[in-house]
Amino acid sequence: MLKRFFPLLLCVLLTACAAPAPEPAQQQVIAMSIVMTFTAYGGEAEAAVTSAAEQMCALEASFSRTLPDSEVSRLNVQGRGTVSRNLGELLQAAGHYCASTDGAFDFTVAPAASAWGFTTDHFQVPNPEELEALLPLVDGAAVTVENAEEGYDVVLGDGQSVDLGGIAKGYAADLAADIFAASGIERGKAELGGNILVWGTRPDGAPWRVGVQDPARPGEPNALAGVLELENAYAITSGSYQRFFEAEGKIYHHIIDPSTGYPADSGLTSVTIVANTRERPEPDRPGNGTMCDAYSTALFIMGEEKALDFWRTHQQSGLYEDAFDLVLITSDGRVLVTAGLADRFTPDETSGYVYETVS
Amino acid sequence: MKPFPELRPAPWDLAVVAAVLTLALFCGVMVWGGAATGLTAIVTADGEEIDRFPLSAPAGERTYSAGGYTLTADVSPDGIQITASDCPTQDCIRTGRISRSGQSIVCLPARFILRLEGKTEINSSGVDAVIG
Repeated sequence: MLKRFFPLLLCVLLTACAAPAPEPAQQQVIAMSIVMTFTAYGGEAEAAVTSAAEQMCALEASFSRTLPDSEVSRLNVQGRGTVSRNLGELLQAAGHYCASTDGAFDFTVAPAASAWGFTTDHFQVPNPEELEALLPLVDGAAVTVENAEEGYDVVLGDGQSVDLGGIAKGYAADLAADIFAASGIERGKAELGGNILVWGTRPDGAPWRVGVQDPARPGEPNALAGVLELENAYAITSGSYQRFFEAEGKIYHHIIDPSTGYPADSGLTSVTIVANTRERPEPDRPGNGTMCDAYSTALFIMGEEKALDFWRTHQQSGLYEDAFDLVLITSDGRVLVTAGLADRFTPDETSGYVYETVS
Repeated sequence: MKPFPELRPAPWDLAVVAAVLTLALFCGVMVWGGAATGLTAIVTADGEEIDRFPLSAPAGERTYSAGGYTLTADVSPDGIQITASDCPTQDCIRTGRISRSGQSIVCLPARFILRLEGKTEINSSGVDAVIG
C-alpha cells in the first residue's frame, strides 16, 4: 500500500518546492503629504503594517502645520503648551540637531518658509525687507522643551513658530522601526515618500537595492544616480528638485537657509544620509532616522565643503549614535560617496555623472 | 531468485497517474501562468478601500470620486492608467500605465491610491525602492 502511495506523496512534496516565496504584509497610506508604504515579512507582519499606517496618520494629526487643530498649529498660535510624548521628544531632538549643525538645520525656520508660500502652496517671492524682519524669529535655541508629568512642556520665543517638515519623516521612520522591532519583523521596509527604512535583508537574503533618484531627471522614475545595497539602515534624501516654483524665470526650491531666509544655494542638488538602525539610546530619544532627516536638510544647506567637514568630524568622534555616511550630488555633475558606502554603492554609468569616493 | 511480480496496471495506478498529471498542471499554472492574470487592483480614498477587482476583469473605464476630485481609470488585462483627473497636480496621469505587482498610482490632492497586488517578484537586477 505504501509503495503505491509513495509516488503520490512524492508529488505532493515536490509541489511544495514550486510554492511561491511567502507574501509580505503591506499597507499604503497618504500622510504628511507623502505616500508611505510599509512592507513586512515574518513575526506579526499584518499587525505591524496596520499599526504603522495608523500611527503615521496620528503623527500627521499632531505635526501638521496646515491642519488648524494639530498640536503644532496650537503650539504656534499659543506660543507655549504641554504637548504629547511624540511631539515633545521630536522637538527635543530637533533642538539637539539644530545645535549640532550650528543652526544649519533649524525647526523654527517656519516664518521664513511661510513667506515663500511653502506652507500653503501659494508661492511668492517675498521682498528682502520682509525676510530681514523675519530672520530674528529663526532661532531654535530660543525654544525650551522640558519633560513634564504628562508629555512635555514647550515654550517658544516671542513670535516664533515651528515647522517639523525637515525632520518629521525621519521620526516617522524611527517609529516604523520601533513597531517592526516590537512585532518581531524579520525583514521589511518602510518607504516614506522618497526616504526609506530597510529592515533585515530581502526575502532572497540579499541586501535591499535602493536607487538614488537622479536630481537632474526628477520626473523619470527609473533615472538613477546610483544604487545603494543596504541592510538594517535608513536612507534619507533632501533635494532641491523635490519642491519648487518658478517666478520670473528663476527657480526657487523649498529648502530655506535659516541664516538668509532664501532657498539654499549651496551647489548641491541632492544629499542622502545613510545610517544603521539601532535601539533607542534612551527611551525618550528617537533613533537614527530622525538624525538622518535633520542632517540631510542641514548638509544640503552647508554645501559640499562644509558637509564633508561635518561628516569627517562626526566620523572621528567615534560616537556610534552619530555614525552616518553620505551621497552628495553636485550641480556641476559629480556624485560624492563617503568611504563607508563605497562598497555598497553602484554608480549608474548611463547618468553621465563623475563619481568620487571621499574619505 | 524471487520472480518479478506480474506488472499490470491496477485502478490505483491510474489514480496515481491522474494525480501526477493534475499536480504537474497545477504547478505549471502556478509558476508560469499566474504572473499576468493573478493581479488584483485595490483602490483606496483617504485610507478607505473603495474598489477591488482582478485585472482580468472586463476591460473598460472606471470612475472614482475622491477628496472632491474625479479620476477615470482605463483598465485592461495588461495594466491600468489614469486617463483623466480634475486634480491640480496631474501626477496620477503622468505616472502612466502600471502593470506589475507592487506598483501604484497615487493622487495626493485626492488622497487616492490605486495599487496592484499579486505574486511578488524578486527583482535581482532592478531596485526594490527609489529614494530622493
